[in-house]
Amino acid sequence: MNSTGSAELVLDGLARRYGSTTAVARVDLAVAPGELVALLGPSGCGKTTTLRMVAGFVEPSEGRILLRGRDITTLPPHRRDAGMVFQSYALFPHLTVAENIAFGLQRRGVPKPEVAERVARMVALLQLQGLEKRLPRQLSGGQQQRVAVGRALVINPAVVLLDEPFSNLDALLREGTRIELRRLQTELGLTTLFVTHDQAEAMAISDRIAVMNKGRLEQLGTPREVYDRPATRFVASFIGRANLFTATDGRHSEDGIALDIPGPGTWLLRPERIAMDGAPASGPNGAPTDGPNSATGIVEVVCFLGTGAQAVLRLPGGRALLVEGPAALADLKPGRSATVRWTRADLTLIPGDT
Amino acid sequence: MAVLTFLYLLGPLFVIVAASFSDTGYLTFPPQGLSLRWYRAALADARYLNGFFVSLKLGGTVAALSLLIGTAAAVALTRFSFPGRAFIEALFLSPLVLPGLVLAVALTLFFAANPVVPPGMPRLIVSHLLVGVPLVLRVMLPVLRRVDRSIEEAAQNLGASPFLAFILVTLPFLRPGLFAALALAFIFSFDEVEMALFLGSARDAPLTVVLYGAAQMQMDPTVAAVSSLLILLALLMMVAQQLYAQR
Repeated sequence: MNSTGSAELVLDGLARRYGSTTAVARVDLAVAPGELVALLGPSGCGKTTTLRMVAGFVEPSEGRILLRGRDITTLPPHRRDAGMVFQSYALFPHLTVAENIAFGLQRRGVPKPEVAERVARMVALLQLQGLEKRLPRQLSGGQQQRVAVGRALVINPAVVLLDEPFSNLDALLREGTRIELRRLQTELGLTTLFVTHDQAEAMAISDRIAVMNKGRLEQLGTPREVYDRPATRFVASFIGRANLFTATDGRHSEDGIALDIPGPGTWLLRPERIAMDGAPASGPNGAPTDGPNSATGIVEVVCFLGTGAQAVLRLPGGRALLVEGPAALADLKPGRSATVRWTRADLTLIPGDT
Repeated sequence: MAVLTFLYLLGPLFVIVAASFSDTGYLTFPPQGLSLRWYRAALADARYLNGFFVSLKLGGTVAALSLLIGTAAAVALTRFSFPGRAFIEALFLSPLVLPGLVLAVALTLFFAANPVVPPGMPRLIVSHLLVGVPLVLRVMLPVLRRVDRSIEEAAQNLGASPFLAFILVTLPFLRPGLFAALALAFIFSFDEVEMALFLGSARDAPLTVVLYGAAQMQMDPTVAAVSSLLILLALLMMVAQQLYAQR
């Protein structure tokens, strides 16, 4: 993905060091016009530092930032054409909703009638009608979030930067808001860089996900790609839930589970790819016989999730195998034994792992 | 209970104000007769009038300089981290805990040995700054600590230069604090007696020193009238600040 020609935003070998610690290590990323790319990773992975370098609040130690083909690496924040939504929203407490949204337009010297018109359009778009004269502290969390979004979008920025914009909303509101934001982003064709630590959120609304860990970009791909074909062990376990097997040959994992795999390496088995039998398979003496790609263990925990259920199976070697399936799985009694199986196609080799 | 507390706190003020309206030639309570002649006498007395303007000039200068220095110091102490920051902060605030008399005597001795500042008004201003700056610092430190830096960043992100972001976004947030700090420094300097007695010149005596002298020498109701006017001034300033804070 280094086709910088058509990209709207390009990060070229972007790095930031603080003394001897590396916050961001040479990140390359090209965001296409109208594309939403998520920077996903645990706290301290460098995603926020990367975003703040694009906004101009953190000076890169190395590398370049290109926005619409223009090198903005050394420009101060107010000369960049980026609209940022802050995690705390950072609304101006002494200004009304309308004044908050108008702020960026006024700084750009937009004539008064046009400011009023564009603010009104943004207010309507974000369903903030009737709240124009309120102060931020008189708004609910969701309304504040919409004002923060409106304030960033009304200036028609070349790139929209979102810093954990949903983290201060409660769970119910969060899902609705992120769908709403995605709709807006697609309709307006906004090039967007979106920082989050929530993998479900990133998968739900991104065109592509950049998974970061310890300052490095571990994988860049569509949500399907990073979920189905994770490049590293970290990506496999950070995105979705994972059962990982380390195999030194094509027949067994290190902890003794019989596998039918093409060769050694680290193999990923997603919990929803595992099928659980109602009863353990019985051998001649009633003892379980585990062929390759199956396992028998004791049901340790079950949880009902509404759309399905999860179970943890404790295998004889000590491993806890996570299984996801239909809601009926929740009827299993903890303490009894169960057998699960999967096919060769359900196992995915993780290439970036040795 | 509330009424008792109120009476206890404000009783002396009532006594002074009531005594100022007395028709007698000496200070007495309860007042006998009702007259405004002591107010006329106070306003006609050049010493009080001169003292008032000296105090006004002194308080205004001390308040303005304290605000400037104290706010700058508070900004430095809250925004930059440097070795010994906590120590410097404690050092800055320490004059607040010293009795005024101790400071006055120490400064008198110091200036006697090192006449680095010309005597009279300049010397008094520099001395008052020793308390005025910590007062401003005391008010502005917590205010500045509550400033959300991301709000300034948001303003810059939307196209305001760092300076403009400070003016448009941070300053409105600081304004009530600045106003309170200014008032506090002014009132301190205006009301201060010890340093003014020790370090001020007789020619340019602030109102407090004039009052102090008058109270010792004659003790007529003029003193009460001037005091009442001062109480009125303080009341007006407090009301103004409350009105401003509630806006």
